[in-house]
Amino acid sequence: MLGPRIVGDNGIELRPPVLEDYHLFRTWGLQPEVTRFWGPRFTDQTPATAEERLKKDLEGRTLVFWSIAYQGETVGLTGIFDINWVSRDGETGIFIGRHDLYGKGIASEAVRLRMAFIWYELGFHRTHNWIALANQGSWRANQKSGYSQFGTYPRSWYRSGEWFDEWLGEAFPHTFPPHKVPSPWRDESTRNDGVNGAETVQ
Amino acid sequence: MALGGIVRGKRTTLRTPTEDDLASYSRWMADLRVRRAGRIWHEPAMPATWKERLKEQAKEQRVVLWSIETEGRLIGMARARLGSLEGPPGAHLQNLIIDPEEWRRGYGWDAALALHRYFFDYLDLQRSGIELNADNSAALRIAAKLGYAEFGRGHEVYYRDGAYVDEIWVVIQRATWDERWAKIEREYAPFAAAR
Repeated sequence: MLGPRIVGDNGIELRPPVLEDYHLFRTWGLQPEVTRFWGPRFTDQTPATAEERLKKDLEGRTLVFWSIAYQGETVGLTGIFDINWVSRDGETGIFIGRHDLYGKGIASEAVRLRMAFIWYELGFHRTHNWIALANQGSWRANQKSGYSQFGTYPRSWYRSGEWFDEWLGEAFPHTFPPHKVPSPWRDESTRNDGVNGAETVQ
Repeated sequence: MALGGIVRGKRTTLRTPTEDDLASYSRWMADLRVRRAGRIWHEPAMPATWKERLKEQAKEQRVVLWSIETEGRLIGMARARLGSLEGPPGAHLQNLIIDPEEWRRGYGWDAALALHRYFFDYLDLQRSGIELNADNSAALRIAAKLGYAEFGRGHEVYYRDGAYVDEIWVVIQRATWDERWAKIEREYAPFAAAR
């Protein structure tokens, strides 16, 4: 399924992807500036197959997928994939396709919004992810919303003469910082005197 | 590539799966003992669905499926993803399921050893990885004996039997296989000696 719109701080929001976004996703994945730790830099997608891909994601029962928008413009994607509905676990991922926007906190905010949806709307028990150990920006963005490292996968990526290990992360509802609960969940918990579990909202 | 060929162990043989195997596959996937031990390959289904799954499996480019038999009797299945685009060429063992009625007879170990010989001695892979339920002591024993080492432990990953169980991530590197098994686990005699 495509995730609903969730408005965050600093002009950042998650929103359901539209067809134009899928054209962006495809071209981003082919750029050297943003693929140091992302994929093989080739694709089986063409402009003609974008709609088919969107339909597949829309109908998918084991994923929730968003575009990340910054000041109204689509700049990345995030989601939860390979969902195990019995164990209520899934793999999360995030990709910022605009390297000129790195360092602006977009990933941290997108992760915060995504994790709030996963805990408060999907009722998950756990999520996990894999991130290149050298990609500190990405795993730190996840750490801020409750992820911690549970292992290190050796020699996962080869780039320019170096092997890079992978940071294996996991998160649980109780590791999500209560003061980071975004609206509307923060507002609802305030209205309900904290019955939704966000008693320490600041 | 996606339906495996013959790999002979001492007591078991991994062989190409056929439609005749599918009723047993479905029975195993429906068995709570199997489901409790680890990941299954598809949910139980009608025979036509299993036939379709086998057809789809045959189209897989990188994931290989074997049936396991002993003395001509089907006793299990194995499935592994082979090769790697970005990491070192390796295997990821996704399923190794033995019929629960055949447990504790050493078939799992024998099939696992033969399969890893295929990975390292035949395909020249550089490593193999598995994720195992933390309470699957039989699988953990086999992995440790082969030379797998833990590199991660996911907490409360799988829900079954009223509780969550951890998942242990293990990997065996080529150097470990060579040190432990390469001298005794060779599929072929040295070529010069065979001539």
